[in-house]
Formats: sequence, C-alpha cells, structure tokens
Amino acid sequence: MSKYVIPIIFLTVLVTAFFRKKDPYSYFVEGSRSALSLMLEVFPYLLTIMMAVEVFKVSGVSGFVANLTAPIFRLMGLPAELSELMLLRPLSGAGSLAVLDDIFATYGADTYIGNCASVIYGSSETIFYVSTIYLSKCKTKKLGYALPVAVFSTVIGCIIGCAVLRIC
Amino acid sequence: MSKIWLIMLISSVSTLLFVNPAGAVEAMLVGSNSALTLAMTLVATYGFWLGFFAVLEKTGIADLISRLLRPVIRFLFGGSSDEAQKYVAMNMSANLLGLGNAATPMGIKAVELLGNNEERANDNVKMLIIISSTSLQLLPSTVISMRIAHHSAFPTAFLLACTVATVCSTLIGVALCKIFAKLGSKNSTGYRKNLGSCHKKANTYAQFIDASPTNSTKLKTSRAQKNE
Repeated sequence: MSKYVIPIIFLTVLVTAFFRKKDPYSYFVEGSRSALSLMLEVFPYLLTIMMAVEVFKVSGVSGFVANLTAPIFRLMGLPAELSELMLLRPLSGAGSLAVLDDIFATYGADTYIGNCASVIYGSSETIFYVSTIYLSKCKTKKLGYALPVAVFSTVIGCIIGCAVLRIC
Repeated sequence: MSKIWLIMLISSVSTLLFVNPAGAVEAMLVGSNSALTLAMTLVATYGFWLGFFAVLEKTGIADLISRLLRPVIRFLFGGSSDEAQKYVAMNMSANLLGLGNAATPMGIKAVELLGNNEERANDNVKMLIIISSTSLQLLPSTVISMRIAHHSAFPTAFLLACTVATVCSTLIGVALCKIFAKLGSKNSTGYRKNLGSCHKKANTYAQFIDASPTNSTKLKTSRAQKNE
C-alpha cells in the first residue's frame, strides 16, 4: 500500500504545480538548502547520544541492567528475553534494531517472542532521541511531564499488544 | 535526557575500566563515527523531504492537508498559530506514513513555532513530543523487512497487535497530556489569584512582585494564549 502512496502524492504535487504555473524546481532547491544548517544543529546531539549508547552496549552494562529488570518485565506480561530491547528502544533506533536482529536470529521471527519483539519495536519510538532532536533548534528544554507520560504510555501499549498476541 | 546520559556513561566507562580499559574510548569513537555516517544519510534524507515540503507548501497542498487535519489539530494544539499547525499537520502525516526521518525536520520547525523560545515547554510542545514519541506509525516497514530478511513465514502476522499497541499508547499519552495540562492550568490560575490579592493587601508585596516584571507579564501572556 504505502509503496504507492508516496510516489502518487509526489506526482500529484508536481502535476498541480505545473497546472498552477509554479516553478517546483526552484522551490525544491530552496527547501533542501535548509537541510545542511538543520544538520549542523542536530549533529552534536546525534553524536552525544550515539557515543553514549554505543559504550553502554559494548560495556555490557545494558545487558546487565536488562537482566536486573527482566523480572519486572515478566511481571508486566512481557517476555523477559526482550528486556534489553525494551531498554534500548527509547534511546537509539540503530542500537535497538541490532538487538531485534539478534532476537530474530536466536528465537526466530515467527515465535511468540519474535512476534512480541516485532510489536514492541513497531509500536514504539525512540522517545529520548526524538525529544532531544526535536528540541535541538530552539531554547525550549524543560519538558516537565512529557517524557514520563510518553514512556508510561509506550509500556502500557506494549503490554496490551503482547496480550493481544497471546489471545489471537 | 542529560541525567540518563550521565548515568549511562558513568556506569559503562567505570565497568569498562575493570573489564577492558582500552575498549572505552574505542567504543565511544565507534559511536561517534556511526553518528557521522547516520548524519550523512540524514542530510540527504532531510534535503529531499525539505525540498518536497517546500513544493507542497508553495503549491498550497500543505494548506490543504492541514485543513483536512484541522479539527484534530485544533483539539490537540489549542491556541497555536496557523503556521505552526501546518508543520504539525505535515509532521503527523509523515509519522503516520512511517516516514520518521521526513517527520523530523517538520517536527523541529513545529516545536520552534509552538514553543515561542520559552525555556519551559508549554502544553502544545509537550503534546507534540508525546504524540511523536508514542509513535503513530501505521505501517512499521522496518520491522516487516527485518522479518522478511529472517525468512518469516508470516511477515505481517504481528500487525494487528502492533496497531492496537500503537493506537493505545498514543491515546493514553494524549489523554494523560490533556489531564496534566488541565491540572497545570488550574494551579497557575490559583497562583495568579494569590498574586492579585497580595497586590491589593500590601504595597510591599506588590513591589516584590514588580521587581520581576518579566515573570508576571510572561504569566499573563501565557494565560491569554490559553484563553484564546
């Protein structure tokens, strides 16, 4: 489905621009010009987060914390094998994708654990990464209750998703 | 984020000090390197989507999309400018289509416009962060392709549960955000009333408050925005 959606939107836009006698070429150039300056703002945050996540994973601390928190996840109805995925998912997309790959390789994608991992990865976002990057260009830094609420609702969503998997 | 970052670094580096002292700096450099690789890809991705969005905007299609989403956005982001709502609309539709990287530049602009450069995030910024970070994604294409790569017999078998999960998490997030916003605005009304009575009761107090005029004007403007 989504294979078609974006090319169709793209075509519609170009055709509309043509009929309205506008010059999409120069608009596109102007728009993409801001990508570099945007990246200059975003890059320091990107680097700061990613180097910390890498050392967190390599040092084995993430695995250790995952083992420690596994009983809590089991208590909530999530497979204990997925605790590392749950921990890394809010921090880094690439880091947690590697963990997902690992889970599929170890347990298989079609097992209950594999399906649960798919639900967890598919239904959640890199909460801390997204919020840092979104705020990278403005002075607003104090988020108050926003992050706890985001983490809480994501966890509840994952619990519900895994429960649905067990029923179906 | 800064606290989590600090805890992560201190715990990991001190562990590596005992296990593999040479690995600490190496791992951090590997991480920094992959940040650069990601940044290069992202510049191209942002460039493409920002160019695409500029065409959308100039041809008036962005306005059309934001008009379609307006009832939802009005409810979620009360008192925000039309310009901000346009970027919010683009951000949300990109997220819905599973284009996280296309959503990011729109989200950055939306936060800039919603936040008015105040240090403390207002309710609208919080709402946008909560919506984006509870993930609205309808088609998790990354997971599907990863399942296919692992020879899954049913690569889309998890979709129903996944949709239920993501819809639930977003709904819970939005509801909690609305509740907290309401509680917060009640508190600040109480605070304003106290300020007012102080003003009437004693001039010394009034001087105290007037000594920080920026604070009280800020409160007034934020109240006024809420009333809109």
